[in-house]
Amino acid sequence: MLAVENLRVVYHDVISVLNGISISLEKGELLVIIGANGAGKTTLLRTVAGMIDFYDGEIIEGDITLDGLSIKGVDTVGIMKHHGLTYVMEDRPVFWYLTIDENLRAAAFSGRGRNVKADMEKAYQYFPPLRGLAKKKAGYASGGEQQMLAIAMALMTQPGILLLDEPSLGLAPLITEGLFAIIKRLNESGISVMLVEQNASAALEIGSRGYVMELGRIVLEGKASELAANKDVREFYLGSGEKARRSYRDAKRYKRRKRWL
Amino acid sequence: MTDLLQALGSGILVGLVYSLLGLCIVIVYKASEAFNFAVGEFMVTGSFLFYIFFFDLQFPFLIALPLGLAAAAAAGAVIETLTIRPLIGRSPIAMTIITLGLAFFIRACLQLIFGSHSYSFFLELPDISIDAGELLFLSDPLWAGIMALLTFFIVMFFLFRTKWGLAIRATSENQAKAMAFGINAKMILLVVWAASSACIAVAGIMISNFGALSTMSSIVGLRAIPVVLIGGMDSIGGALAGGIIVGICESLVGTYIEPLGFTGFKEVAPYILLLIVVLIRPYGLFGTVRIERV
Repeated sequence: MLAVENLRVVYHDVISVLNGISISLEKGELLVIIGANGAGKTTLLRTVAGMIDFYDGEIIEGDITLDGLSIKGVDTVGIMKHHGLTYVMEDRPVFWYLTIDENLRAAAFSGRGRNVKADMEKAYQYFPPLRGLAKKKAGYASGGEQQMLAIAMALMTQPGILLLDEPSLGLAPLITEGLFAIIKRLNESGISVMLVEQNASAALEIGSRGYVMELGRIVLEGKASELAANKDVREFYLGSGEKARRSYRDAKRYKRRKRWL
Repeated sequence: MTDLLQALGSGILVGLVYSLLGLCIVIVYKASEAFNFAVGEFMVTGSFLFYIFFFDLQFPFLIALPLGLAAAAAAGAVIETLTIRPLIGRSPIAMTIITLGLAFFIRACLQLIFGSHSYSFFLELPDISIDAGELLFLSDPLWAGIMALLTFFIVMFFLFRTKWGLAIRATSENQAKAMAFGINAKMILLVVWAASSACIAVAGIMISNFGALSTMSSIVGLRAIPVVLIGGMDSIGGALAGGIIVGICESLVGTYIEPLGFTGFKEVAPYILLLIVVLIRPYGLFGTVRIERV
């Protein structure tokens, strides 16, 4: 339903970040995108969510369509309101100086005539630990609580598609596990999810399909289980390549990576 | 003793008007991170717009006031659209410098349109002066204090009790985050600048009512600088306290120090106070304590 076709994005007119990328997200899917730092994952999400202008970036080629309609050039609020697509930025995008309760209300701003109370109740049901903190300033909440809050805020916008940018950033493995279980539950409740992650193993575990990005291009695509089993992915992203014959492999590794790019 | 009470009382009344000016700078600073140096010119613009409705077109006060404020808000919105909006997401310093340029530009425009002479400005509000024995508070400063306080609390209510206020507070923390959660940051900035312009107009009208209105009245806008810096650039309560402190400082100096032969010292005193406060507390008396996560 969401399709990105041959997208090229340039920052400040000179820095080319996405070099002709094409991906698709089917309804009800939990899509995982993995890639190294600087691969352009965040830029891809920003562009899809209509926020690229704000960062002085520009789409110079390609198109983004949602159910066949082009959403290129529509602003973030429009994409959220009319297409039900919500983008959760990386690094826990919560309002530090507002209480958790206020954060949830602020996220419900764009929805007119909605039952905010019922939506909040639903959000609290997904993230029970937040309920006890309702009157606390979000800046004083822990990293895990802030990330929960960020996703809970996204739920307040009643999304059909959720773009998640590295929800595991800076969280302990156990917290990440709990969070990913909730993301999986959200997906099962009918929300299509596009999950960008550095934590490839955890992400591929819950995902249904995946892409591997390198330097603004897709270099590999497949079912999550296939990707997790792929030799190159295992070595470059899951960190479980064979370590024994290291010196010989180092030389070859460069060649293999080069072939990819 | 009577002198002291009289000086404190008058100081507070004028201070409330300064507080309102400070508040307008603070909300704009919080929302767009730009310091509005054109506050004096906004004030004169608002006063002249009201002047047109009240004195030229002879509308009754209760109709002329909303019309004047609406016109001031519209002027603020137009200025924001033309000068601030193209800079959203860029350096706040650029916006601040734009407001400096705006100050000169608006002043020149006003001089072209209205000339440099004074316009007599008398609102004929009901007389509410308080004459309690030795103490005497004139009607005009009392009205000024009441109107300023009222406007201040309307703004506070709007910010802290309404959905729009919440959206403004969210946007003022981070524009990108607000946009990602469906708050139209551009529209919020427009609303903030328009509201700020209307509230500055209230302060302008009350100050003009003390005497006359001329394009040179914009000098009063400079008083807002010690107000916000003493109170803290990002603190709404600080604006209230800062305004009252500056008002009291002025009137105490006027009562006790000027008669000793320091004529005009009243004009300088708030800036000396500002210097002392900023040396001791660089963030101002009530500047936000930043949330630090460890």
